[in-house]
Amino acid sequence: MRASASLPRRVDHSGSGLLRLDRELVAIGVVGGLLSGLLGVGGGIVMVPLLVLWARYGQRDAHAASLGAIIPISIAGIATYGIAGEVKVGPAIALAVGSVFGARLGAGLLARLDERALKSIFGAFLVGVAMLMGVR
Amino acid sequence: MTGATLYVVLVAFGVLVGIASGLLGVGGGTLMVPFLTLVAGLSQHAAEATSLLVILPTAIAGTLALRRRGVGDAGFAIRFGIVGSVGAVLGALLALALPGATLREVFAVFVGLVGLKLIGDGLRPRSRTA
Repeated sequence: MRASASLPRRVDHSGSGLLRLDRELVAIGVVGGLLSGLLGVGGGIVMVPLLVLWARYGQRDAHAASLGAIIPISIAGIATYGIAGEVKVGPAIALAVGSVFGARLGAGLLARLDERALKSIFGAFLVGVAMLMGVR
Repeated sequence: MTGATLYVVLVAFGVLVGIASGLLGVGGGTLMVPFLTLVAGLSQHAAEATSLLVILPTAIAGTLALRRRGVGDAGFAIRFGIVGSVGAVLGALLALALPGATLREVFAVFVGLVGLKLIGDGLRPRSRTA
């Protein structure tokens, strides 16, 4: 079920600044990328909370923006680390076969689930990641 | 774990990572890196490189699926990501110059607190969310 229209939702793509993004989004992109690169965590864990709590995006739009943003971010990561020699091709292909299929299922869920459910599920994911980082 | 069993497990784990990625808008590296080191026996470096390579097709597949469903704006997301990638390169260079362990612990606590806040926001009665 689609979320109600009363939730905070700001999808303004008409900014005239850098890459047609307003200043707040440029700041979130740079800070999100910085923390991500600094800590070696995925950008999504940083970008989604910033988009929701700072830029007042709806949870669904924040997830979609973060997922698309990961495309150039991961290309930059691959280019920066020059990983060609380190990648284990077999495991990479096996994981990608599963994850490309799973991503379509997940995107279907993102399109359907209630905003509040998304918020709680993402929150639970963050708590899980925090614990995983704690034990590592 | 080796051979055919490992590959079956990797594909199955890939499905879970993909679902998390498409649903949550994350890359899934935080899930894949520990799995690749602990279960598949890769070194930390190889696990990070392999995970990074898997994230790209996953994010593309999820973004295309969202676009078909009219969720979000892929062009905007990619412009946002280009700005983010500048930050990521700077962050990676900074990481090489700073002590990592403390930074990581502080960040883990911060991520946990933000997670609890979002769970609280999500569970709050609808009348108070507007």
